[in-house]
Amino acid sequence: MASIMRPGLLRQACSPAASQRMLSTFAASSVKRSSPLAQQIRPAFERSSILKSTRVAAFHATRSQQILPAPPQRVVGTANDPTPVPPPSPSHGSYHWSFERAISAGLIPLCVAPFAAGSLNPVMDSILCALLVVHSHIGFEACIIDYFPKRRVPLLFNSANWALRIGTVLLGLSLYSFETNDVGITELVKRLWAA
Amino acid sequence: MASQRIFQLGLRRAAAAPGFTRFQPAGRMVQRRLAATHNVSSAEGQEILVKQRLQRPVSPHLTIYRPQITWYASSFNRITGILLSGGLYIFGLSYLAAPALGWHLETPSLVAAVASWPVAVKIAAKATAAFPFFFHSINGIRHLTWDLGIGFKNKTVIQTGWTAVGLTVALGAYYTFVG
Amino acid sequence: MATTRALARLATRQAAVRPATSVFSRGLASVVSESKTSTTPDPAPSKEPKTKTFHIYRWNPDEPSSKPRMQSYTLDLNKTGPMMLDALIRIKNETDPTLTFRRSCREGICGSCAMNIDGVNTLACLCRIPTDTTKESRIYPLPHMYVVKDLVPDMTQFYKQYRSVKPYLQRDTPAPDGREYRQSKADRKKLDGLYECILCACCSTSCPSYWWNQEEYLGPAVLLQSYRWIADSRDERKPERLDALNNSMSVYRCHTILNCSRTCPKGLNPALAIAEIKKNMAFT
Repeated sequence: MASIMRPGLLRQACSPAASQRMLSTFAASSVKRSSPLAQQIRPAFERSSILKSTRVAAFHATRSQQILPAPPQRVVGTANDPTPVPPPSPSHGSYHWSFERAISAGLIPLCVAPFAAGSLNPVMDSILCALLVVHSHIGFEACIIDYFPKRRVPLLFNSANWALRIGTVLLGLSLYSFETNDVGITELVKRLWAA
Repeated sequence: MASQRIFQLGLRRAAAAPGFTRFQPAGRMVQRRLAATHNVSSAEGQEILVKQRLQRPVSPHLTIYRPQITWYASSFNRITGILLSGGLYIFGLSYLAAPALGWHLETPSLVAAVASWPVAVKIAAKATAAFPFFFHSINGIRHLTWDLGIGFKNKTVIQTGWTAVGLTVALGAYYTFVG
Repeated sequence: MATTRALARLATRQAAVRPATSVFSRGLASVVSESKTSTTPDPAPSKEPKTKTFHIYRWNPDEPSSKPRMQSYTLDLNKTGPMMLDALIRIKNETDPTLTFRRSCREGICGSCAMNIDGVNTLACLCRIPTDTTKESRIYPLPHMYVVKDLVPDMTQFYKQYRSVKPYLQRDTPAPDGREYRQSKADRKKLDGLYECILCACCSTSCPSYWWNQEEYLGPAVLLQSYRWIADSRDERKPERLDALNNSMSVYRCHTILNCSRTCPKGLNPALAIAEIKKNMAFT
C-alpha cells in the first residue's frame, strides 16, 4: 500500500494506459480535466478521479530484492526443437538416488536406538557418524545443485562444491579423532542434555 | 414528390459512401486501429522475438504462492537439515582446530560450560537443537515412504504432514522441557 | 428541413426492420411450438450488488521499461458467471479490453487458461469465484515463467521439454494380427491417471524445483507424460526412455515437494508418476 503513495507510481497509475488511449471514445470521457484549481492540486485530484474499478498498484516483488534472479529469457533453437537430452550417468542419477535413500533409511534405527538405550556402543556410534557425514554431504550437494546451478554461476558452483568436499573430509577426520579420543557423539549429546 | 424520392435515394447512396461515415453515430464497439501493420520476413520476426524475450519479466512465484503444508514442510525439511548439518560441520571443524587455537572442546569442558549457563539459555539451546532434529527425522520418514510409492493421495499428504508437525511439537517440547 | 426529415425517416426505418428479422430467425430456429416449451424466467436480480475486487497482474510488452503492476477491477457477481474465466471475460468485454489472457474451451480440456488464482495454480474455467465478497481475489500468470503479456506466460521451454521425452509410441515389432497393437485390460488400466493430462503446466509451475531449474529439470507435467509412455505395455523403448532421464537434473531435481499433485486441476498425481519413474530406474 505504501507504494501507491510514491509520486512516480502515482503518476503512472493516473495516466490512462496507452492501450486505453487508443479506445478514445471510451477512455477520454472518464477523465475530466477542467477547472484550473483542479490542475493545481493535481495529485490529489487525480487520485480521486481514478475509476474505482480500475485502480492500479505497482507490483511489490521487485527483482532487485531477489537472490539470484532468473536471467533474461533465451531460447536455444526453434520452438520445434526438443531440449537437449543429457548423456546417461547413473552415478549422478539412479545409483546416487538409491545410495542416498539407503543412507537415510540406515539412519533411522541409529537415530531411534539412542533414545531407547541412552547411548550407542563405539562401533554403532562410529557408523552413525559416518552416515551423518555422508548424509550431510549429499544434502548440501543437493542444495548447491539447486540454488547455484552450474549453467548460470559456474564459478560459485565449483567453489561451493570444492569447499563442501574439503569441509566433509575435514569433518570426517575430526569425527574420527572425536570417536577415538573422546566419548562418542551420542554420549556427548546425552551429557550435554543432562548438564 | 418524385424529386423528393430522387433526393432520398441520393441521400441513401451518400450514406453508403465511405466519406460520409463520420456522420454516423460512432458506438463504443467501433474500433480504431492506430497501429500500422506491415509484413516482416520470418528471419526478421525471429529477431524481434529474441529482442522481446530479453525484456520479459519473470512472473512472481515464492511471494505469491499460497502457503501449503506440501511445500512449506519440504522447505522446512531443507532448512532444518541445513541447520543440523551446519551445526555438525561447525562443531567438527572447530573440534579439529581446537588444539591449534587453544580451545577446549572435549566433552568434560563442554559439559562444564553448558552447566554454567542460565536455565533460559539452556532451554533455548535445547529447543534449537530438538525441534529441527525431530522435524527433519519425522519428515524424512515421510519422504522415504514416498520414495517407496506410498502415501501420494492429497488427503494422505496433508494428514501425514500435519501429523509430522504435531509429533515434532510434542517430542520437541518434551525433550526441551522434560528430558 | 427536408434533409433532416429524410434522415430521421431513414433512421426509423432501420430501427423498424430489426425486430422483424429477429422474429423471423426465431421462427426458423425453434422446431417445437412455443406453447410446448417451458422457459425458465431469469433469476430476479437481487437488490444488493455483490461486488468483488479482482487484482490482476499486468505487464505490457509495448512498454518494456515499466514494471509489472497489479490492477484492480470490481465486478458485480450477480451479473457475472460463476467461474473465474467468466469474470476475466467480463472484465475484458466491459471494463478493459487490453486485459490479455489465454482461453479456449471453457471446460477444462484445453489447458489454455492455466493461471495462478488466489495463490494456487489452476484453470480459470474450472475455478469458481469465491462468493465471499469481502476477500479480494488475486490473479497472476503461472509462477516463475517469462511473461509475454499480462496473464500469458511463454510456454516455449515447456513444450520443448515435452518434445524431448518423445511422447509417442516407439515400436519395432509389428502387431501379431497385422492390424493394431493390442493390450490387456490390466495394462490399459496402468495408463489411467496418466493419459488424462492436458499439459496445462499448472503442476510444473507450482514446483519450486522447476522454478529454480527449469532449464534442465523436466518438471512434473513432462515427467508424467514420460511415464505415460514408460508404463505403456505397447512401447518398446522403455530402457532408452529411462536412460534419457538418468542424470542428476532431468528427474532427480524432484524432491517430492508434492505441490504438483496438490494443484493439478484434473486431479492427477504427477508426484506418484515421478516416484514410479524413480523406482523403475532404481530397480532395473
